[in-house]
Amino acid sequence: MLMPTQITRYIQLWLIVFGICAMSACSNGEDAAKKLKPNYDAPHPTSLGGTMIDAMTGEPSGLIAMIAGESAASAIAGNIFNSLLKYDKNLELTGELAQSWEVSADQRTITFHLKPNLKWADQRPLSSADVLFTWQKVTDDNTRTPYGSDFKLVSKAEAPDAQTFRVTYAVPYAPALDTWAGLHILPKHLLQDQDINNTAFARHPVGSHYYKLSDWKNGQYLKLSRNPYASQGQANIEHLLSRIIPDKAAQFLELSADNIDSMALNPIQYARIFPSRPDLSKNIGLYKELGNSYSYMGFNLKRKPFDDVRVRQAINYAIDKQEIIDGVLLGLGEPVASPYKPGTRWSNPSLQPYPYDPNKARALLREAGFSDTNGDGILEKDGKPFSFEILTNQNKEREMTAVLIQRRLKEVGIEVNIRVLEWASFLGRFIKPKQFDAVVLGWSLSLDPDQYGIWHSSQQAPGQFNFISYSNPQADKLLEAGRIELNPDKRMKIYHAFSKILLEDSPVVYLSAGYGLSAIHKRVKGISSPAPAAGIGHNTYEWFIPKAYYRNEINDQ
Amino acid sequence: MASYLLKRILWMVPLLVGISLISFFIMHLAPGDITTSEASFNPKASEESRQKLRALYNLDKPVIVQYGLWVKRLAKLDFGTSFASHQRPVFWQTTDKDGNVTLGMIQEALPITLLINVLSLLLIIGIALPLGVISALKQNQWPDRGITLFVFLGFAIPGFWLALMLMYWTGVQHSWLPISGLESMGHENLTWPAQIWDTLQHLVLPVFISAITGLAGISLFVRNGMLDVLHQDYITTARAKGLNENKIIYGHALRNALLPLITIFGLSIPGLIGGSVIAESIFAIPGMGKLFYDAVLMRDFPVIMGILTIGAILTMLGNLLADISYAWADPRVRRGVM
Repeated sequence: MLMPTQITRYIQLWLIVFGICAMSACSNGEDAAKKLKPNYDAPHPTSLGGTMIDAMTGEPSGLIAMIAGESAASAIAGNIFNSLLKYDKNLELTGELAQSWEVSADQRTITFHLKPNLKWADQRPLSSADVLFTWQKVTDDNTRTPYGSDFKLVSKAEAPDAQTFRVTYAVPYAPALDTWAGLHILPKHLLQDQDINNTAFARHPVGSHYYKLSDWKNGQYLKLSRNPYASQGQANIEHLLSRIIPDKAAQFLELSADNIDSMALNPIQYARIFPSRPDLSKNIGLYKELGNSYSYMGFNLKRKPFDDVRVRQAINYAIDKQEIIDGVLLGLGEPVASPYKPGTRWSNPSLQPYPYDPNKARALLREAGFSDTNGDGILEKDGKPFSFEILTNQNKEREMTAVLIQRRLKEVGIEVNIRVLEWASFLGRFIKPKQFDAVVLGWSLSLDPDQYGIWHSSQQAPGQFNFISYSNPQADKLLEAGRIELNPDKRMKIYHAFSKILLEDSPVVYLSAGYGLSAIHKRVKGISSPAPAAGIGHNTYEWFIPKAYYRNEINDQ
Repeated sequence: MASYLLKRILWMVPLLVGISLISFFIMHLAPGDITTSEASFNPKASEESRQKLRALYNLDKPVIVQYGLWVKRLAKLDFGTSFASHQRPVFWQTTDKDGNVTLGMIQEALPITLLINVLSLLLIIGIALPLGVISALKQNQWPDRGITLFVFLGFAIPGFWLALMLMYWTGVQHSWLPISGLESMGHENLTWPAQIWDTLQHLVLPVFISAITGLAGISLFVRNGMLDVLHQDYITTARAKGLNENKIIYGHALRNALLPLITIFGLSIPGLIGGSVIAESIFAIPGMGKLFYDAVLMRDFPVIMGILTIGAILTMLGNLLADISYAWADPRVRRGVM
């Protein structure tokens, strides 16, 4: 029988043993770090070859992007397939498969001229017939794609000769060029007698871009190898290997152990772990770039008192955006004043976010008829306290954002409750039937400025995207004008005016746009830093790995 | 015996219908379907396109009609194709007219999960049996308390935390074991003994983590079973007639104490095919847990139903096997004494 004192002695003993183990493990780790490592900062000339390994959290369901839809699929397929157009490093449209394009005088017809001598990875020629075929597939009613509607606006598509592809729209459609930059051109000769919905081609793709798929182990990795017949010239790195590691912490361990070269970091890894680990920073470069989305709080404009612009502006003034950026994103984000990416032509540089000004908020609320008549700290109007509910889906950052908003609004006398829901019920039970006061969500900072679907007053039916019921005839007019104006300069003026109205109306409170954070091993060279508007990924084909830095286990392949 | 078996197997059919019916309806009670995922909340995907997709997947039909369509396919042993994964077959591989083979999702995930769970079950038995026996023999002495403390620590410790710590210790600080995944890069270039060795190294941590959390149940079960048996009259009799103590413990006591374990193993068969989402995510293992979890999140109905149905069949077979082994192991059951 063990007495209590004996038990404590045993526990002490075990603690000491564990402690020794832990310490010895630690010192061994330091020894390992002291081992001779190559100096990754030395200059090297551009060279061909090597393997770059990255990690992604999800596996693509297939590599035909119009059907797969998820970001993992687009990321991989974007290395295999070309579109007619692409965005350059300043996020301006430029040709990819197309050498040039013309817009007719009535702005309804776009003629694309393909580059000469384009080839598929199987050496068959790539012609306008393939482009026409891809358009037929994406608009086919039997194709299981959610992205067909933009292309159905084309009333006539034709391929007068092998180098020319012409589309005619019933009415001018300004976002057309952007849609053609997003459509991967598929090979007709391999797909014409296949059912695109379940073809094996989705797992054995043949494209025309820098890489071709050489191996795909389900749930483990996808391996891409350089395509010698690539339409855009040759990439430097021979193999791109994407490992599927769903857990971010495990990815980080793999990165620390030098088993992978790159991963997307979360703010904690970027701002907290890396600065405290000089041994990691020695081998791994950190990059940040503005991401492609922003978070916002949107009001249900059909509900009182959010139909009053003074109330919306007051709430906008009462929320401290910098606090949200610092607290939720650990400082790794920017405030925005329009739904367009800062630094691109569509973003109106004269607009400023609402500053944090609780006094102005209180004044606006008083003007709107709110006052604290019973002295409980909560404002009332017509005897009813100002209290509302913020809905958001299960997303840690959005939940934390809602809590910070709750606290700031309490300071000006507004009571906020927070409800967090699983996505499908959030959408089905609250957003579609418009049963909500306010939401915290995100929208993308789209590359094309057309956001007709989000802001136009005609887009309020259940399932459509103007679920906050924003309606302003002036904004409607501008949105309509921007959709039919293909001249970029004229278009820019339209959207600058639109963003200004949107900011004044404050149907949503822009909260923050987070940075995309990535860690890339220093063996990978040729990365532009600081990142241009399009991000560091704009020139991956120019990245290279000097031979001296190859991993041993990859050398023999 | 044969008629009993036949009856049991025939009974499984209505049971299976009931299980699948309930699963199907509960699955459809959850709001949303494949077209309402967060990724599809995108202005580029119009509401009309989504309605079109719903029609193509028959999601616009009443649930009972959808169930009928599912049963009709299942009658041909066809578990259908996944909504979310580009129509990969849910259960078994298919070959298209060009001879391209597409492997089934369960076909790929099940062997991996089975391998890990069987290895971890063997490890659990290998450790828990002696631990349980020692605990019982040294009841309330320090080995017993130490073992109980140890197995409860294993039970209580968060598996994901222990996994990450061990990954850091054995993979980052020392390069003893691979950190995640099932195979090293370049696995296919190795000779087959090296391939097996490589895979085994990758399996050490996942198997260990899944075993350490499961030790408590079995070892305490063995301990209590042993304690019960050791106080039976026939043990006293055996001791009284001067039988060798080892023979008493291993020949008489342990054999009887192990009987209830058969039930436990029968019950753990469904657990064998269900992987742990957390462990599979951390170790980047494409097993059944992750497959099911992702399918639920995406509302990928054919995959959910496929896994539930195959799980139900295996559970029923497991129970049947447990009953048969019970009859085989315990003559009292066989002869209907009990």
